Amino acid sequence: MSFFGFETGFPGQNKGSKGDSRKKTGTHKSKGPDAAMDFEDTYRGFGGYEKEEDDYLNDETFGNTTEMGADFDFGYGRGELDAVGHTNAVNQQNINMNRSYASAAASTGPEASVSGYHDDGMDFTPMESLWTNQALAVPPQQYQQQHQVLSMEEIERLQQQQQSQHSQHGYVGGMPPPPPVGYGYPPQHFMPQAGYQGIPQGLHQGPSQGIPQGLPQGMPQGIPQGLPQGLPIPMPVSLPMPGLPQQYPEPPHVLQQQQPVAATQQSAQSSFLGPSASQSPDLSQLSATPPAQAPITKSPASSAPGIFPQVAKPVRSAPNSRGQIVGEQDSRESTPRGIRRGSVRKVQEALSPEEIKKLQVRQAKVDKILRHSGVMTPRDKDFITRYQLSQIVTDDPYNEDFYFQVYKIIQRGGIVGESNKGLIARAYLEHSGHRLGGRYKRADVALQRMQSQVEKAVTVAKERPHKSRENLDSAKEGVLGKISSVRNSKAPRRQLQIPLQKGDEEEIESSAIEDVVQSMNGVDLSSSSKARRRSSYAFRSVDQRAVLSRSGGRKFVLSLIETVYAEVLELEAQLRSGKETDSTALWEALHIADDAYEVSPFISILSFDKGVKIMPRIFNFLNKEQKLKLLYCFFSELSHLNIIVTSSYKTNPDPTDTQLKKLELFQSVFLKIIVSFLSSSAEFVEVLGLLLALVKNNNVSFISTSKIGLNLITVLISRAALIKQDVSRGNVLSSMEASSWNEIYDKLFTSLETKLAIVFPPDEYTSKVVAASTTGTLTSATTGQSVKHQFYDQSYIWQFLASLALSGKLNHQRVIIDEIREEIFGTISRAEQLVSSSPTEEQQIALYQRDKLYQDLNLFLNVMGLVARDGEISELK
Amino acid sequence: MSIETPLDLLKLNLDEKVFVKLRGAREMTGTLQAFDTHCNIVLSNATETIYELLEGELKSNTKSSDMVFVRGDSVTLITTPSED
Repeated sequence: MSFFGFETGFPGQNKGSKGDSRKKTGTHKSKGPDAAMDFEDTYRGFGGYEKEEDDYLNDETFGNTTEMGADFDFGYGRGELDAVGHTNAVNQQNINMNRSYASAAASTGPEASVSGYHDDGMDFTPMESLWTNQALAVPPQQYQQQHQVLSMEEIERLQQQQQSQHSQHGYVGGMPPPPPVGYGYPPQHFMPQAGYQGIPQGLHQGPSQGIPQGLPQGMPQGIPQGLPQGLPIPMPVSLPMPGLPQQYPEPPHVLQQQQPVAATQQSAQSSFLGPSASQSPDLSQLSATPPAQAPITKSPASSAPGIFPQVAKPVRSAPNSRGQIVGEQDSRESTPRGIRRGSVRKVQEALSPEEIKKLQVRQAKVDKILRHSGVMTPRDKDFITRYQLSQIVTDDPYNEDFYFQVYKIIQRGGIVGESNKGLIARAYLEHSGHRLGGRYKRADVALQRMQSQVEKAVTVAKERPHKSRENLDSAKEGVLGKISSVRNSKAPRRQLQIPLQKGDEEEIESSAIEDVVQSMNGVDLSSSSKARRRSSYAFRSVDQRAVLSRSGGRKFVLSLIETVYAEVLELEAQLRSGKETDSTALWEALHIADDAYEVSPFISILSFDKGVKIMPRIFNFLNKEQKLKLLYCFFSELSHLNIIVTSSYKTNPDPTDTQLKKLELFQSVFLKIIVSFLSSSAEFVEVLGLLLALVKNNNVSFISTSKIGLNLITVLISRAALIKQDVSRGNVLSSMEASSWNEIYDKLFTSLETKLAIVFPPDEYTSKVVAASTTGTLTSATTGQSVKHQFYDQSYIWQFLASLALSGKLNHQRVIIDEIREEIFGTISRAEQLVSSSPTEEQQIALYQRDKLYQDLNLFLNVMGLVARDGEISELK
Repeated sequence: MSIETPLDLLKLNLDEKVFVKLRGAREMTGTLQAFDTHCNIVLSNATETIYELLEGELKSNTKSSDMVFVRGDSVTLITTPSED
């Protein structure tokens, strides 16, 4: 991740290894060809030039024209060399130049296209002339020695092997020599793709090089890029497999003997490529390259960064042994490679000092800019960014990235602006310092690119779980438990999951049923389920635990709630992803139609705050029929509802703050749903049905002692009244509907008659509520400036009476007034008292409160054409 | 919801009042907002009671907090509150 701060230079390491390498290079040379090659020895830190005195072979390499000890520092520090990793051994050892060809390659930048490669030379004028001349002269010493080691038979054998290999690969003979060279390349190409840090940019240019050479190999080269096949080539000498750069006993044999330099190069290569890759090129080249060629091409090649050494070397060493293709010389010379490499040398010799200086400066600049540039190809970078991104993106952000999504909404004030992917891309760019957009400061381009990367990464992420599930999990499931194929924020680092035993669900159910059976003390299950006791006297339900146990037990109900939550979350996820939702499972989880329990579990779900809170989300997924069933169940068993019990002054004369809060919650959540359902989609008949369920199955007078109960009744009858009015305006209410409404209303009224006064809670109770609610901010008491002025809000009672009176006939209204006459006058007198008794400084508050009292009272009185004002009741004008 | 592990039972009590006993003679009551496998828990409207033995007498202090995180390594017991 060099571009994310990884220091490819390994500064510390460089120093150490450099010292070593310096020493070793010395030894290496003195040791001669037979010395075993060590990775560290051979290619680490060859930039050091302290050992100039050991550069015996400079003459041979460069000829006598070069001044000894000349420092060709073109701006590359050692770190640079190391970073490049491939610094050519030959180059450094023999020439002891600090200049790295890798840098030259790098300076061309990634943007240098294959075709542009030739242009490189423009900067560094080729020096083939230098090399050709001198190299030609030199070869004898080194190279002859080297190849002497290989016997002709050996070489031939190698050749044959390679050829046969070749044909295997489908590059049929006809051109025995070419293949080898071609093979040399493939690994090279392969490397850049793999994303090796150490590989200089020059690598990806490899193909172009190979082609220019003019060798038949051109064909194989093209292929190698894509095909790692080059690697598999059966080696004449069997090598230990990759990863052990330093120890290749065998291949080194051949090569080392021939030429120390070659060996070093090889090892350097092999460290990157793996043994096979390094070997094959060498061998093939050995056999293939003509003797004369070697000097010419070789030197340039050797000086080139990592990749080239291979090719160059073989050429060098091979020539003598075999004079196969002489003609190749020329073609090679013209190779871009050759040109490039040569350029430096030319600079050395052919350029004037000023020019050199200029070049140095230029080089230094370029180096600075491109210090690590080209270490990875654009493809490498893309690969890495994609890989990294694929870890952080998700196809299903709301499930796996829920908190971020929420945070995003909070941050942006709910404005859904950019896409998720765009955000990720931007964040990623900024984090990695890429926003500069590279050379042309095209930040937008960079962003676009990154976005496309994110896009791809998402695709990758999408496919990932799918794949692994098919391949891995199915095989191992059951053996190792369930393999968690997706690791995400929801399921981090979980290797094993014990598979659920199917049938768990049923067991629970059956055990729950047993619970119920037990709790019913032997009551026959089937009969009780048919005639679930819809107790009309809810006092038995005062004990919450009893209710719970009659509906399956606390644990059962709680687990139902969890199931419901899970279902709702699932459905919501489906909804977000645009899939069809199927609420069957959710419906089952609610157990509304479940007669197995004495009290419907659904009613018990509502006794938990979390059960109430989830209701709106449940309603999103139920169809109208289901909603109706749900409400029917709700109204039928209203007496069992915990909230009714706690909000009734009869059963709970001493309400606590917590209970009052529960009440508030229920009102603001569930009551709201009911109201909106009734007013938006319920038909008249349906409202009637619900009201009937309420009246028939419950003790209405008890329910009316609770605030919630009264609210619910109010909602139903006022809705019915409204629809009736609407209908009478438009279509005529069918006679059946009208008569059934009258019937139901009569029923309701009968159950309330003579008990209407009890809808007013006693003063004791109201004062307690006020006292309890002063701690919180509850709407059940009007909050005034001082505790003293808070009083119980009776508006809900007057609303109830108003709607009751509205739907009733005159005789009904008369009954109502008769029964609550005391309350009416009590309210009026309290209102008048408020003003007269309160101190002057609180007059304002008192006035306000008086108005409020009148307002509430008039809700009811207005229905009958009356109005209470200033302590008197008059007719409404 | 199927119940397989002890913590699944704890899940049932999410958003419910719980009583938590802690090391160091402390107890807490509050609404269980969240928990994890380490028994780290988050309580809302929590009351902490700290017991102390002073000169042979058991004294207790209480502290309240709207929202509190309790590190799991100090939790010894979680249950539903005894009353209410």
